[in-house]
Amino acid sequence: MRLSLLTIICCCAMMAVSGSIHAAKIWTVDELVDKNIEARGGMTAIRAMKSLKLTGKLLLNQGQFEMAIVQVFKRPAQVRFEATVQGLTQTQVYDGKSGWQINPFNGRKDPERLSGDDSKGLAEAASEFDGSLIDWKAKGATVSYLGTEDVDGTLAHKIKLLRPNGDVEYIFLDPDHFLEIRTLSQRIEHGVQLAIETDLGDYEKVNGVYIPFAMETGKQGSTDKQKTVINKAEVNLAVDDAVFAFPAAKSKK
Amino acid sequence: MYSNKFFISFLLFVASISCAAAELVAFDSGTISGLGARNIGSAAMSGRISALAGTRTATGKITLYVGAASGGIWKSEDSGTLYRPIFDKQSVQSIGAVAIDPSNTNNIWVGTGEAWTRNSVSIGDGIYKSADGGDTWVNMGLPNSERIAKILVSPKDSNTVYACVAGKLWSDSADRGLYKTNDGGKSWNLMLKGSNLSTGCSMISFDPTNPNIIFAGMWDFRRQGWTFRSGGESPTAPSGSGLYRSADGGLTWSEITENTNKGFPKKPFGRIAVTVAPSDAKRVYAFIESTDSALYVSDDAGQTWQVRDKSQWMVWRPFYFANLIVDSLNADRVYKTDGALIISTDAGRSFSAVGGFTGMHGDVHDVWIDPAPSTHGQTIFAGDDGGMWYSYNGGSKWWKGGNLPVSQFYHVSVDNKDPYQVYGGLQDNSSWIGQSQYPGGITNSQWENMFGGDGFWMFADPSDPNYLYAEAQGGAIGRVNRHTHESRDIQPRLNAVDLKAFKKLRFNWNTPIALSPSDKKTVYIGSQFLYRTRDHGQSWTRISPDLTTNNPDKQQQEKSGGVTVDNSAAEMHETIYSISESPKNANVIWVGTDDGNLQITRDAGKSWRNVAPNVTGLPAGSWVSWVQASNFDAATAYAAFDRHTVGDMAAHVYQTRDFGKTWKPLLSPANLKRVQGYAHVIKEDLVNHNLLFLGTELGLYISIDSGENWAHFKGGNLPAVAVRDIAIHPRDNDLILATHGRGIWIVDDITPLRALSAKLLGEEISFVATRPTQQRVQANGGWPNGDAVFTGENPPDGAVITYYQRTRHLFGKLKLEVIDANGRVVGQLPASKRPGLNRVTWSMREKPPRVPPAAQLAQSGTQGPRVLPGNYRIRMTKNGQTIETKMVVGLDRRATFTPADRKAQFGAALRVKALFDAESTLMDRITFLRSELAQHLDTLPESSGLKKQVATLDAKIDIVRKLIVATTEGGAITGEERLREHTDQLYGAIIGYEGKPADYQIANIVALESELKEVSDQFSLLISDDLKALNKSLMALGQKAVAAPPPIIALNDNDVTSANAKMPTNLLFLR
Repeated sequence: MRLSLLTIICCCAMMAVSGSIHAAKIWTVDELVDKNIEARGGMTAIRAMKSLKLTGKLLLNQGQFEMAIVQVFKRPAQVRFEATVQGLTQTQVYDGKSGWQINPFNGRKDPERLSGDDSKGLAEAASEFDGSLIDWKAKGATVSYLGTEDVDGTLAHKIKLLRPNGDVEYIFLDPDHFLEIRTLSQRIEHGVQLAIETDLGDYEKVNGVYIPFAMETGKQGSTDKQKTVINKAEVNLAVDDAVFAFPAAKSKK
Repeated sequence: MYSNKFFISFLLFVASISCAAAELVAFDSGTISGLGARNIGSAAMSGRISALAGTRTATGKITLYVGAASGGIWKSEDSGTLYRPIFDKQSVQSIGAVAIDPSNTNNIWVGTGEAWTRNSVSIGDGIYKSADGGDTWVNMGLPNSERIAKILVSPKDSNTVYACVAGKLWSDSADRGLYKTNDGGKSWNLMLKGSNLSTGCSMISFDPTNPNIIFAGMWDFRRQGWTFRSGGESPTAPSGSGLYRSADGGLTWSEITENTNKGFPKKPFGRIAVTVAPSDAKRVYAFIESTDSALYVSDDAGQTWQVRDKSQWMVWRPFYFANLIVDSLNADRVYKTDGALIISTDAGRSFSAVGGFTGMHGDVHDVWIDPAPSTHGQTIFAGDDGGMWYSYNGGSKWWKGGNLPVSQFYHVSVDNKDPYQVYGGLQDNSSWIGQSQYPGGITNSQWENMFGGDGFWMFADPSDPNYLYAEAQGGAIGRVNRHTHESRDIQPRLNAVDLKAFKKLRFNWNTPIALSPSDKKTVYIGSQFLYRTRDHGQSWTRISPDLTTNNPDKQQQEKSGGVTVDNSAAEMHETIYSISESPKNANVIWVGTDDGNLQITRDAGKSWRNVAPNVTGLPAGSWVSWVQASNFDAATAYAAFDRHTVGDMAAHVYQTRDFGKTWKPLLSPANLKRVQGYAHVIKEDLVNHNLLFLGTELGLYISIDSGENWAHFKGGNLPAVAVRDIAIHPRDNDLILATHGRGIWIVDDITPLRALSAKLLGEEISFVATRPTQQRVQANGGWPNGDAVFTGENPPDGAVITYYQRTRHLFGKLKLEVIDANGRVVGQLPASKRPGLNRVTWSMREKPPRVPPAAQLAQSGTQGPRVLPGNYRIRMTKNGQTIETKMVVGLDRRATFTPADRKAQFGAALRVKALFDAESTLMDRITFLRSELAQHLDTLPESSGLKKQVATLDAKIDIVRKLIVATTEGGAITGEERLREHTDQLYGAIIGYEGKPADYQIANIVALESELKEVSDQFSLLISDDLKALNKSLMALGQKAVAAPPPIIALNDNDVTSANAKMPTNLLFLR
C-alpha cells in the first residue's frame, strides 16, 4: 500500500455569503480573489490562524479501506499528516524546506527523506494551507481569470494560478458564495504532469474562518477519488516546530 | 443454482425534504450528469487519427499532440507512453489540423473539422488556440469553416498564423480558403479564396527560411448523400482546384500552371498536397490529383517541375491521402500518406510501402518525424485509421499504440450474459465483442474482433448463443460462430427474375439490420427492399417493394469521385437506412430511407405507406437516420431526420401517435431547445415512455418529458462526441452509447432517470429509486500492462445510493448512514455535493476487526466482512435535517451458494472478527500493565532491587505479547507468524469467498481460539502470581502497588469506524 499526501490538499476556505452572480458582471481576477477572501472570513481572520489541526478519516478504494487521519498545519509552511490503521501510523511531513515520511505498514518505522518531486504536494499544502489565492503575489505566482466553467452542474469561476516553479493550479469558485468548490493541481513530478483534482464542500466556520470539512481527491478524471471527512478543526493550538523536524534518531516505537 | 431466489426485487423507496415553495426548476446538464458514465474503450482497434504535431523538448523528450478524426486532441509528453485528452470540454471533437508555434511550444493551434472527407466525417466549429500547452483553449474564430486542413505558424512571429480552410463538405460556402491573422487570431483575413463556392484550401506549406513564400493547394470538392467529387463533376470537368504561390505573405498570388511553369501538369485537378523541404527551400513537392495523378518535384522553388512517381499509390483515394512529409534534414526523403505509408529516398522517383495493411493498420493520414539528429530518420510516428503507430527503424516495423480509445463505433447492442457483453462495428475497424465489466478492468484484451472490413450493426443471435450477426460495409452480413469464428455470408442476393427486374440490390454503407423484438429467429435487413429471415439467413423473404424513391439520378455511384473514381459503397444511395418492428405488434414495421421516405406496414409487409409527407415542416428528401417504434404503443413511433448531407446541421426529431398520420416536432430548427448537432438516433426508454434518449453528432441528450425539454448529458466527462447508437440493457438498466470517436460508454443504471419528474426536481433533497442492489461476487483480475495501455472502468464495487438535490451543498455536514434491520449503523459515508443527481457507493462492509498492533499491517484485517443481504435503511443528514429510504441488498444472481451458506460464512467471519477483538483486548491489557510497570520503573529507588523485579515481570509479559503478534521490525520479509498473523490468514480466507466456509477453516477457528485461551491463561497467571508477588514486594518497601489491568480497557475511541482507530489525539504535541 502506498499513501500519499499529495492528494490531501487542504484548502482552508471560508466565506461571507454574497449575492448571486450578476449576469452582466464582468469579473476581474482581483475582484474574485477579494471575494474569495471575504467569503472565507476576511483577511484578518485568516491571518489570525497560525496553526490548524484537522482530525477525521480518509476513505480509499470506494470506501473499502478507511484510516483515521490527523493533519497539522503551521505557518509559515509546515505540515504533518498522519494516517492510522491497526495502530500503525503513516506520517508525512514537510518542514518548510523538505519532506520526510514514516511508512510503517511493512515493518519499518524509521523516518525516510522524500525526494523533491515526492514532496511537491506536501509543500503546496504546507505553504498554502489557507488557500493558494492568499498572498499569491508575495508567493511569486501569477493569477488570471478564465471565465466560468461547468463544475459538476455549477457554473464556477475559473482562476488559473501559475506558480514560480511553472506548476499550475486551477481554482474554481462557487458563483454565489465564492468559496472553492474544486481545485486542479497540475504539477510536474518525475518528468510527467500529475493532475490532481480536489472537490471541496461541507464548509464550517472555525474561529471566523470557513474550512471545508469534506474533500474528494484523485487524479483528474478518476471516478474513484479518495474521500476525506473532517470531524474536528482546531485553530491556534500550540504546536512545537519539533513535530515537523526530521527525527534525529531512529524511532524506538 | 439458487441465484434467482436471492435476487432482490425492490427498489429504494423515496423519501425527500421538500422545498418551501414549489418553483420551476431547470432540467439541464447538471440535473442528470451526476449519474456518471464510464468509457470501456476500446483502444484495441482505436480509431482514425487525422493530424499530428510533435516537438522535442529541451529535456529531450517528445511531446505529441494527436488529433483524432472525431475524438478530440490527446497530448503525450513522453513519446506516446501516456496520453491525456485535452480538448474534451470544447464544443466539437473533430480535428483537422494541429500546429505548434515554433517560437513558443506552449502555443498550440487546432483547426477543428477533419479534412479527410469520407462519408462519415464529422464537423468543426472554427480554430482554437491554447497558450499553455493545451490546458485551456479559446476559440479564435472562423466559426463557419467546418473543416480546417492545415495551420502554419510563422517561425518569425507567433502572431502570424495561416489557416488552410477546406470549408464545408456538404454545401456551398464562401467561408473557405486560406486565412491569415497577424494579431494572434483576433482578426482573420481571407488571403486566397477559391474560384467557386466549393473550392477551399487543402494544403499549405511555406519556405521555412522565408515564411512569406507560401504554396497553397486549393481544392474543389463536394460530397452529397449519393456521390462525391474531388475536383469537378467528372475527371475532365472544370474544377476550381489549383496550386498557388505567394512571395509576399499571401497578399498576392500566382497560380502554378502548365503554361507558366514548365513541367507542371495540365488541369483540371482534384486534391493537391504541397510541401517545401525543411532543409532545402528550393525543393518543393506537390502531389497533384488529375487524370494522370503523380508526384511533382521542383528544385527551383516552384518555377519548374518534374514529374516523378506515378505508381498506383498516387491514384489511391487522393481525397483521403493527400499529405506529404519531408524529412527535416534530408530533402530527398519524403513520406506520403496513403493506403500504406510510403517512403521515397530518391526525391520521389520511387516509393516503398513501409507500413500499412500488415504491420500497421493502414490508411495513413499524418506522420511526424523526430527532428533529433541522434535518431534522424529512424523515429517516425504515424496516425492512420487504426490509431497511432510508432517506428524506431525508419518506418520498417511498428509498435501499435494501445492507449487511444478514439474508436469510431457506428452501432452497439448487448446480450444477456452476466456481465453482459457489448457488440458493435466500427469505421474501418471491423466488428467486436467487448466486456461490460471485468475483474481488474476492461483492458484491450477484453475485446475480441469477430468479423472484418468496416463494421456496423452487430448482434448476438438471440436464438443461438453460439452465433452472432455482424456486417461489413454495403450490407455484407455474416452469421459468425463465436467460438470458431467461422463466418457464413448470408447477404441477400437476387434470383434471375429479380435480377432482370431490379438489376441490383442497393445496400447502404451502413446497412440496417434489425432483430424482431417478438421472435428470436426473425432478422431484417434492408437494401431498397426489406428482407426478413426466420432461419438464420438460410433463406430471405422480400417483404416490401422498393421503399425508396428509386431516383436514378442518385444511382450513378460508378461516376462518383470527381477526378479519381471512388465508389466504395460509401456513396450507395436510394437505400433503406433504418428498420424497427413494433414491440407491441409484430405486424407493424417502420422503415426509413436515406432519400426521405418513412414507410410503415401494419400487415407485416403486405402493404406499405410512405408517411414522410405527413411530417409537417420537414423538407422533402430528408434522410431518415432513425425510426423507432414505441415500446408501449403500436401507433407511436419516433423518427430522426439527418439533413447534414445537405448542409443543415440541426436536429429534426418527430413523434407520431397515430401510425404516422400526424407528427409532432420534438426538435426542429424552429425550436432546437439547446440541442446541438444533427440527429443520429432517438430511443424511448423501456420502462418510462416519457424518457427519451437522443444521440446527435455532438453528444447525448435526454428528455424526461417526452421531448418537451432536453438536457445535454456530460456524465463521466463524456465529451461532445457523436453518439450514433444507444442500447438500453433490459435487465441491468444500463444505457450503452456507441460513440463515433470515443468508443463505448456505459451509464450504469438509468433507473433514477425514470424517477425524475417536475415534482422531484422541486424537492430540496430526495432519495431516488435505483435498480436492485446485488452483492457481486468478489473477483480478482488484471495484470500490470504498463502505462501505455487503455483500461476501461468497471462499475462501482458496492451498493449505489442515489439522491437528488436541487442546489449544490456547500455549508455544513451532508452525510449518509446505513442502518441494518436491528437499528445498528453499519456504514457512514461522505455524500456527494453536486446539484442534481448524485451517486455514492457503499462498500456493504461491516467495520473491520480491531486488530492488535504489530510490526506490520494485517492486510485482510483492514476490511470488514460484507454485510448479509437483507433490508437496510439509508439515512441522509443535511444540516441537521434527515431523510430516510430503504435499500434491499440481494446476492449476486450468479452466486452458486445458498443463503444458509452465506450466513454460515458471515457467522464464521464474525467469529474470527471476535477472535481478533479478543486478541486486541488481551493486548490492551498487556499494554496497560506494561505501561503501569514502566511508570513504576521511573519512580522506584535504584537500590531497592525492585527495579529488577519490575523489569523481570515486564520481560515475561513481553514474551506473552510476542506469542500474540509478530514483532520483528526492519522492513524485510520476516515471515514471522504469530496468533494475529494466523488469524489474519484465516480471516482473509473466509471473507474472500462468501459461500460456505470449509470445515477445516471452522476447525482452525477453534484451534486459534484455543491458542488464544492458552496465551490469555499465561497472562492471567502472571497477574495472579508474578504481579501479586511484585506488589507484595512494593508494598513491603512502602511503594504503591501496580494496578492489575481491568478485563476491558476503555478506549478513547473517536467516531472513526476503522479498526483500532484509537487516534493518539495529543501525539502531535508531545515533543
